[in-house]
Amino acid sequence: MAFLFKRVKLKFLEIIPLLLLLYFSLNGISVVDFKLFSINLHYILIYYWVLRQPEALGYGFIFISGIITDVVIGLPLGISGLSLLTVAAVAAYVRVVTVRISLVNDWISFIPALLIANFIYFIALYFSNFTIDYFYLLKNSAFTLIFYPILWVPFTLLLKYMKS
Amino acid sequence: MDPSREDVGIVIRSAFLQKGTKQRFSLFALVVLSVLLLFIDKIDTKPLNYFRSIVKDTIYRGSVIVSLPTESMGSLAGKVRDHVNLYGEFAQLEEENKKLKNKISETDYLKLENTQLRKLISEKSGEISNLVSARVMLDKQSPYLNSFIINSGTNSKIKNGMAVLDGENFIGRIVDVNFFSSRVLLISDLNSKIPVVVEPTGHQAILSGHGKKNPTLEYLPEKHNVLDGNKVYTSGKEGIFSAGMPIGEAVIADGQIEVVLFSDLNQITFVNIKLGD
Repeated sequence: MAFLFKRVKLKFLEIIPLLLLLYFSLNGISVVDFKLFSINLHYILIYYWVLRQPEALGYGFIFISGIITDVVIGLPLGISGLSLLTVAAVAAYVRVVTVRISLVNDWISFIPALLIANFIYFIALYFSNFTIDYFYLLKNSAFTLIFYPILWVPFTLLLKYMKS
Repeated sequence: MDPSREDVGIVIRSAFLQKGTKQRFSLFALVVLSVLLLFIDKIDTKPLNYFRSIVKDTIYRGSVIVSLPTESMGSLAGKVRDHVNLYGEFAQLEEENKKLKNKISETDYLKLENTQLRKLISEKSGEISNLVSARVMLDKQSPYLNSFIINSGTNSKIKNGMAVLDGENFIGRIVDVNFFSSRVLLISDLNSKIPVVVEPTGHQAILSGHGKKNPTLEYLPEKHNVLDGNKVYTSGKEGIFSAGMPIGEAVIADGQIEVVLFSDLNQITFVNIKLGD
């Protein structure tokens, strides 16, 4: 019984990143808007888990989550999926080339992930004749980067708990 | 081959092309699928539209269910806030009620006069019957798009481009129709451009949204004399909306003419969709 309970608990812990990913997209809160700034929770979540524990987030789920986000927010289908997969791609690349894992390394390598993903986002929106506030997008990228270490802490705690 | 270049090749293959552990798809395949989807989204054919409608309707329903706990927490917080503000609101409402009572007699007189004048020009003054009512199903306050989802679609004969009203006030237009849901693009959105007329000056202009609370008037004549408090109505110039739907009041701020809307776009629960004239 105790063994079964332990296994169920472990399974639940393992799917927490996936549940969060789908919750953010279905709830339309991938971009959390505060009065003065906003952060992209999706980017942080995907970057962290693809970098540190790729088994926790399937690429297929990231793609589906992007499609759901597009439908809920009202963007042309495929735009969010493309930018989220870009973040995942940079994270996958960094994972392969990095030996030592630390917050600073993660944080620095998050900069190109954000830049490339938002550049692709910008291009895709431009060709879809869709106008958004690009200054808002820039501000969002900056604050997403700033907030990365704040979410890094609980994610790392969760990861350590899963591994223990 | 240079060893470092070979290493980069191996890294790229390993990260993007190969399926990782517990991964069913490679990143590259999914990126290609996303790009394809972007192109397919632009194709307007019946089977694809049906498919899109089914997918969107399903996701909207799923989103409503997932949002339930957040919504109920929000409404609970709202109720607590309402109770705290009850006394202040009561005093304010009492004062407003007094003012409204005074205005009722004035409005009755104007209505009577309006009916008589309409009769004089032989115009029909019957009730508007070409409206469909719908409930706001999802209002996600996206930072990129000021829009919401209503619970009526092609099942209620709603089509793209139709005007959406809050009571009698124009608040936006339909931009995406599914079987049982539609998306309303609000006039405050960055992508919203509506031809309007400013009364009493009669100037034509374009009402442009900026993603903020109040849209602004653009393309006014150079020597316009729009003043604070002038009323803004749809002009009907583009031929989709009918003319004369009230929108808001002009306010001059920082050299720009903002329009303070008659309806609070954050407080809308039910809307009317104008099916046509």
